[in-house]
Amino acid sequence: MTNKILLLSCVFIPLAGAIIAPLAGYISTKFRNALALAAISASFIAAASLIPVVLAGNTITVSANLPLGFNFILTADCLAVFMATVSSFICAIIVLYSFGYISHYRNQNEYYLMVVLFLGSMMGLVFSANLIFLYIFWEITAIASWRLIGFFREKRDILRADKAFLVTVFGALAMLLAFVLIYQKVGSFDLAAIKLYFKTTPVPDIAVILILLGILTKSATLPFHTWLPDAGVAPSPVTALLHAAVLVKIGVYVFARLFIVTFTPSEIWHTIIPALAAASALVSAGAALVETDLKRIIAYSTVSQIGFIFLGFAVNNTIGIAGAMLFILMHGLAKGGLFLCAGIVEQNTKTKDITRMGGLISTMPITALSFLACSFSIMGIPPFGGFFSKYMVFSGAVGGGNIYITLAFLSGAVLTILYLFRLFNMVFLGESRGNLAKEGSATMIVSVAVLATMSLAGGIYIIYPSSFVAVAVKQMVGM
Amino acid sequence: MMPSLLILIPLFVIMAINLPKHTGRRLAFYLALALFATQMILAVFHQKLFLTNEAVGIDRFFRVDLSIDHLGVVALVCMGIVSISSLFVSRYMPLDESERFKFTNLLVIMSIGMCGIVMAKDIFSLYVFLEITAIASFILIAFKKDIGGLEGAFKYLVLSAIATVFMLLSIAAILLVSKDTSFAAITEALKVSGSQPVVIAAIAIFLCGLFIKGGIFPFHGWLPDAYESSPAPVSILLAGIVTKVAGVYTIMRITMLFGSSASINNVLLLLGTLSILVGAFAALGQDNFKRMLAYSSISQVGYIILGIGAGTPLGMAAAIFHFFNHAMFKSLLFVNAAALEKETGTVSMSKMGGLAERMPVTGTTSVIGILSAAGIPPLAGFWSKLLIIVALWQAGRYSYAAIAIFAGVVTLGYLLTMQRKVFFGKLSAGLDDVKEAGFGIVLPSVILASIVVLTGLLFPFIFQSFIIPVKELLQH
Repeated sequence: MTNKILLLSCVFIPLAGAIIAPLAGYISTKFRNALALAAISASFIAAASLIPVVLAGNTITVSANLPLGFNFILTADCLAVFMATVSSFICAIIVLYSFGYISHYRNQNEYYLMVVLFLGSMMGLVFSANLIFLYIFWEITAIASWRLIGFFREKRDILRADKAFLVTVFGALAMLLAFVLIYQKVGSFDLAAIKLYFKTTPVPDIAVILILLGILTKSATLPFHTWLPDAGVAPSPVTALLHAAVLVKIGVYVFARLFIVTFTPSEIWHTIIPALAAASALVSAGAALVETDLKRIIAYSTVSQIGFIFLGFAVNNTIGIAGAMLFILMHGLAKGGLFLCAGIVEQNTKTKDITRMGGLISTMPITALSFLACSFSIMGIPPFGGFFSKYMVFSGAVGGGNIYITLAFLSGAVLTILYLFRLFNMVFLGESRGNLAKEGSATMIVSVAVLATMSLAGGIYIIYPSSFVAVAVKQMVGM
Repeated sequence: MMPSLLILIPLFVIMAINLPKHTGRRLAFYLALALFATQMILAVFHQKLFLTNEAVGIDRFFRVDLSIDHLGVVALVCMGIVSISSLFVSRYMPLDESERFKFTNLLVIMSIGMCGIVMAKDIFSLYVFLEITAIASFILIAFKKDIGGLEGAFKYLVLSAIATVFMLLSIAAILLVSKDTSFAAITEALKVSGSQPVVIAAIAIFLCGLFIKGGIFPFHGWLPDAYESSPAPVSILLAGIVTKVAGVYTIMRITMLFGSSASINNVLLLLGTLSILVGAFAALGQDNFKRMLAYSSISQVGYIILGIGAGTPLGMAAAIFHFFNHAMFKSLLFVNAAALEKETGTVSMSKMGGLAERMPVTGTTSVIGILSAAGIPPLAGFWSKLLIIVALWQAGRYSYAAIAIFAGVVTLGYLLTMQRKVFFGKLSAGLDDVKEAGFGIVLPSVILASIVVLTGLLFPFIFQSFIIPVKELLQH
């Protein structure tokens, strides 16, 4: 019973908090900020306290039967709890950071409404065991990110926000069509019923294509990746939240949930998807290498790293899947950290152009060190967390047997190292080509330092996440 | 209880407000408000009140044949809500008291016509009530007596006259095979001689008449002009219910009456899809706020027609659900258009900008309205569109389902453009002293927005109490 309450509070505390927080903003901004952080932390604590339960091999289900097969079901299994814990933790750090970053802009009530709503619907999405509710939460995250990207009211910002919204809605509608197709075959939107049905029948390829359209648009993978770098006009905590840590992971999460846990697409997809991911990883790594806009480089890097996660999930062997899950964690921490560092740099130097920066390590040492630590993790340098996840994805890919795709990803990994070092050099080392700005505010520095430390700790204490992931993978592939 | 009360009470209201000269005028607003509220209450509690097959009271004496079923209830509730919104907005328009009084009168007359359409059980009464509604709307469109209004009213008048001819012709043809004009007799007659060419022609002609009334492609030409040029409270009425009840609701009735055949369904599906696409793409290029909304109406009506064209009980239930949702979100957007027109003095979107700062409530309700119109969950419009698409898919109309779903991107596109031009961005020059429109406009806007949100969130209740009864009603 307590577990069910925990599960419900994971989803509904932030959803309720999203309504209350902006109202509280009319009373006091401090109270509102505290409330927003409390809602998200409560969700994190609830999700984290479910870990021992799911580790013991239990799954928790809360369900309400609704007409026409639109049952409301929340299920907490290892994969869902893992995702929920990671995203709520990163979200909590980002909100903490926002206290400093966002404090001198307008429309703060709307900001906190959307951030908390975003996390609530993210939680709903990961725990949903019904396609229609998964879709609903999916679209609520799209609404939230639309408003968050358009936080600044310049015409360019709004246009980019509209672009992101339209692209992801297009993909979502394609996915909805696939859900309707599955509904007609199975007669229900319940994942359990769908899993049972597709045990004996193969999944129609058209459904796989349509669902992939949804996933690729949400996770900003080639050829639908362009909205993500463009969305860099948003405030930095938003880009960290949406484009690095949480939003883009929705796509890969649904990939794992549907294509690994629920049904297996036909053999050919295990070649097509890694190939797509490889192209995405290479193209965007190349773009990151030549860009000069600080946030666009990191955004392209996200597109590139998402390719690795897809690779891990798509090769369909246990080590690949485990690697991909760890990758979600490590990339979330490190990329969140990078974006937040970029936020500090951008806010204090008043520019996003890296050719006009340099030498910033002397004035903002903590930011620089955090940036470096997060970069090491993304590059996959031991003992940072990113090394283990990248290594496992590669070993999964080698086990999958396609040597060309593995080679493509290897060169992608090399490019990652190149563009991140270039970025670090241009921004923090060498002679100053602009103004030497001061360090960010205390909450902001603490946030980036925590994420950087976590990236390192994630590698040193890799045993904890990896043992959890090992249980999760067993549960996912049904051993 | 007698269904005819829904027509008799408004008739009495009209008499009551016109007989005493001055008190009537002052009370007209409140009486009309009470009337629409009563209408809604009667509709909601219809199950206890009206769902008997026995005619009682005056109805038995005069042999009035009216009845309300679940389909009708939804239409009646929509009419109540939209009429009240329009009534509120009319208080804030630059009209003098006598004009306002005329408006209230015409509104009540229109409501009589629409109640009749909803409850009629024979095809000739249906026609008569359609004409009552149409006559009231001609005057309302030309209410300002300016050139645009007269042009819009004239276009509607001419096309409506054609529709009249079509419908009368069709009724005459049907009388060749049926013994009278009641729905029951026609159903009986069609069982025997449903495949005769004259009957098929009659059905086709009648539907064409209704396509004109509903502004469905390729008969949609009059609609943008009429919506654009009519005064704000009238465009709320027209877009929210009048064309929907006169056109779309009647199409539902007629297809149920004639039974769904593959050929009718094909026509409905084709025209519905074309309406969706033509409406959506035409809306993309509009700069006039109301004209854009008018094209959006054509597009949304297309969805309702698709639901009907699926030819299944679920499709019909989904269609009436979308009918309700469309009435809500489109009235909401037109109420907001009224607020913008009143405050900025223009309907040109390129002259607006950044208004969300000055009109935060209107800006927020507008977001709710557009997201519902585009079918984004968890708002109401999502559920009805989803059901329409599920119905289409189950009926094996895969390509129509796919077109309907992807047209959502275009819908979202033009509505986002509107939101960006009007509400977001920097405040345009000359709009510095714009403030929130008065209470009477903001209140309906907020109420309609709450209905949209609540319908979306409480969908299990809606399904249980409206959709499934309609579905079961049709399965028998």
